[in-house]
Amino acid sequence: MKKPSIPLGLVFSQSGPYAMMAGEMQKSALMAIDEINRSPEFDFGFAPCLRDPRGVVAAYHTACDDLIREERVDHIVGCYTSASRKQVIPIVERTERLLWHPARYEGFESSENVIYVGAAPNHTVVPLVRHMLDHISSDVFCIGSNYVWTWETNRVIREIVTSAGGRVLAERLLELGETAIDHIVREVIDRRPPVVFNTLVGESSYAFVRVLHEATTRAGLTIPMLSCSLCEPELKLIGSAASAGCITSSAYFESIAGAENRAFVARWKARHGADSNPSVDGQSTYVCVMLLARAIRRAGSADVAAVRRAAANHRYDSPQGPVWVDPDNNHCFLTPRLARVVPGCQFKIFWEADAPERPDPYLSRLDLAAVGTRLEKSNDAAAKRPTHLRLVK
Amino acid sequence: MIMRDEREIAMLRRQFDRLGMTVTAHDPAAVSPPPGEPVDVIVLDADSVPIKSDSRALWKVDAPIIALIGTETPSRLKWLLDLKPASFLIKPLRSAGLYTALVVALDCAQRRLDEAAHLERLEDRIRSRRVVFAAVLQMMRGHDLSEADAFSLIRQTAMRHRTTIEQLSAEIVAAGGMPHRTSRTA
Repeated sequence: MKKPSIPLGLVFSQSGPYAMMAGEMQKSALMAIDEINRSPEFDFGFAPCLRDPRGVVAAYHTACDDLIREERVDHIVGCYTSASRKQVIPIVERTERLLWHPARYEGFESSENVIYVGAAPNHTVVPLVRHMLDHISSDVFCIGSNYVWTWETNRVIREIVTSAGGRVLAERLLELGETAIDHIVREVIDRRPPVVFNTLVGESSYAFVRVLHEATTRAGLTIPMLSCSLCEPELKLIGSAASAGCITSSAYFESIAGAENRAFVARWKARHGADSNPSVDGQSTYVCVMLLARAIRRAGSADVAAVRRAAANHRYDSPQGPVWVDPDNNHCFLTPRLARVVPGCQFKIFWEADAPERPDPYLSRLDLAAVGTRLEKSNDAAAKRPTHLRLVK
Repeated sequence: MIMRDEREIAMLRRQFDRLGMTVTAHDPAAVSPPPGEPVDVIVLDADSVPIKSDSRALWKVDAPIIALIGTETPSRLKWLLDLKPASFLIKPLRSAGLYTALVVALDCAQRRLDEAAHLERLEDRIRSRRVVFAAVLQMMRGHDLSEADAFSLIRQTAMRHRTTIEQLSAEIVAAGGMPHRTSRTA
């Protein structure tokens, strides 16, 4: 007997500057849809309706408008950048639809018509800066792509670092897709900062990590690098040697030990090939579809209001561990993790939160005094600075 | 929140909760400002207060006001301007926008405080010009100085005593000459 099908909109750019990640996300959505369609646990299936905005911001509006009018979808999974999400929000709010958003983002948003499944800033940048202050240095060199994610992440870094008595040594910005990064690498080598915070995306990031690795090796330097976004497929593009050592903050790594993740990785490799790797954004897209399917099953309907209510606080044991929607702000409880890249383009997790952490998109619960513990000993950069500097604004 | 519409109240309450703020709702029909604890910001639904009422008398409070605007008639906007809103939101309300309105309102309130303090300092100075003039005259007569030298002496003495020209001038006028100080600090 064939199950009834619910149309589900998927909006991912299959070309353009971030096509690689959006491609991973679409693959993951289709994998989740196939699993639900075959599963006896769901008495319905999804009929995916694919739209490709080709990385053009204005095309997201048209794509979603078309999905809602022509395909009659109530739910859309998609968007990678904040710029594209901001295009979609007015339509889903006006037509009372739900956008399931898989990617991490910079926060400071809370639409009733978006379920934010990706990490909020308290899940990503805050634990990474805390680790940096506790174990590496309170002086940091920031380099990132010239757009909202970097601007806001840098602001958070500056706020925490300054309150801990540290300094942002530099804030260098590159246009999206720019790969001419020699001048910045030269500056890093000349200034020898104790740590580099990398919020570049896509090709810019891969080029920077590679060229900096060559330069530090030649100069005999070791400069730790931090990232909130690098994932396994990207490590492969960068190369094993160049990416090794990079510290990344994320809610998902392929190396998570839980049974759900081991099974997920096995299914992924069976479907996409043994050489293929799931990624944080791909896994998150998979979680979007699964959360939606569970909410529809619980609500007994795909009706937006009913699904929103059913999704609230409903725990799903996902590959990345327990995940549930916080009805206070429509973001998800997730477990923050920190990992170091090891040779072979994999992450070795060295810290994770004890329990899934409540999402805080406006960082209204960020306690600067608690995060800003300083390095006390065994670090030259910190020891040289008199402690009274902490009082200097 | 001085608002009437339950749906709008619920929506803003949710958004304020996300920002970690505590809110109380008050009936716009109340004639006087809500009693109780001082607040950091007031959200006022402009449409819920009769236009005939004197807005300034109604809400004589120091907290910045975010106005919710539905009716854009000149009469309503004129009434609103008398209230000196620190920022505003156009209805229908969405979850987006309140954070910006709040940031603008608090910044605006801080600027107004700074400007008022600055203005008060300037007014103090203007008020004491007569005293400074009297002190300069006294120095000119008492020490046979030119006006420029007399002022220069007062200025340097004030600097040495770490006080203001205005304060020292008042002391000169009161003492009938340069006061003798043992301490260098005023």
